[in-house]
Amino acid sequence: MEFDDIERILELMRQHDLAEFELEREGLKLRVRKGPGQPPAVAAIPLTMPAPLHQSALPAPAPPPAPPAADQESVELAVVKSPIVGTFYRAPEPGAPPFVEIGDRVKKDQVLCIIEAMKLMNEITSEYDGEIVSAYVENGKPVQYGERLFAIKTTD
Amino acid sequence: MTEPLPSDMAAALAATARRRGPFGDPLYYFSETSSTNDVAGGLAERGAPEGTTVVAAAQTAGRGRLGREWFSPPGAGLYVSVVCRDLVAAPLLTLAGGVAVADGIRTATGLPVQIKWPNDVVIQPAAPARARKLAGILAEASSGAEGLQYVVLGFGINLRHAAYPFALTDRATSIEAELGRPPDGGAVLAETLAALAGAIAQLSEGPAVILERWRALAPSAHGGRVEWDTPSGTESGTTAGIGDDGALLVRTGDRVERIMSGEVQWK
Repeated sequence: MEFDDIERILELMRQHDLAEFELEREGLKLRVRKGPGQPPAVAAIPLTMPAPLHQSALPAPAPPPAPPAADQESVELAVVKSPIVGTFYRAPEPGAPPFVEIGDRVKKDQVLCIIEAMKLMNEITSEYDGEIVSAYVENGKPVQYGERLFAIKTTD
Repeated sequence: MTEPLPSDMAAALAATARRRGPFGDPLYYFSETSSTNDVAGGLAERGAPEGTTVVAAAQTAGRGRLGREWFSPPGAGLYVSVVCRDLVAAPLLTLAGGVAVADGIRTATGLPVQIKWPNDVVIQPAAPARARKLAGILAEASSGAEGLQYVVLGFGINLRHAAYPFALTDRATSIEAELGRPPDGGAVLAETLAALAGAIAQLSEGPAVILERWRALAPSAHGGRVEWDTPSGTESGTTAGIGDDGALLVRTGDRVERIMSGEVQWK
């Protein structure tokens, strides 16, 4: 895990207003917790803590080269990001059902949401066939360029 | 099915052909359709070129932002949707659309219409009377794997007095009501398309001219009282112009906020 990865996790927590984040994998346990009203802070980062069985007088092994579980998962998940700065709408009009819900199967070119900027209503369509597994932004909230909107578990 | 263009529109379009470039060519006319934006969007999906225009005298499912109904009774209005493919123009296209409709109405009728950010076209009586809306714009686009491919720019222009629903009476007006005589709908259509052609040609050379024209047409962008919603509640302030990206600048206390999207309520 690189410093950049931790930064990404902190950014993710800010975006989704998560209070706590915990990640455990071989040789690493990371827990980040946000105090009430505080920006996220890294509480404990035993970066190179070896797994118990390997404990010995030997120097701790170098952290394993990058990509175990989490990265493999991101290969299967397509993250839909905002192409523009604007306001995010999950439904075509107030009171209408959302274009998509978590668990919905979606087809390529299906409308996922609208992002509005200066009264240009920009329909964001899916690039993939798959299943919506995460929706990151609440209806009516502002989004930044490149901000995550949805994660889609793609099907080939 | 499209229908033959009414003769007054055909004559006005012929008279402006050179100034319109591709805008209004081809042009599909309907005495009534569901929504000109939907028809134009369908044409765009099938590859309709820049400037393809759909005109209707009435809409059965006209709408404004976020599905709000746009009151579109027969004979009262002019409903126009144009396919735009010049993506260099896209970021400021909705401002340019406001400039085009305002200038088109000014040229065709002489009415001193103004713009309210980003692109409502209004008549602004002397204070303290509220602005009355004469035309509105709904721009719709679709972005997928290939990014933005086109924008449909839809205009609803109130030509004649209509029996507006009660809620609209103090907020809407028509060219006929302001002018005191029946308007020339063909001229309004043709001059708006010509102004749009000019505005988009300007935008492809850079934003400066359009921003300057927008600012000249939008006095309310300075010193106007506005309210808008944020994730942490409603804020209010005084307008302080627009940025070069088109954002509305609003002074609130000692800060200047940049508003790019969402609702702005004019007080």
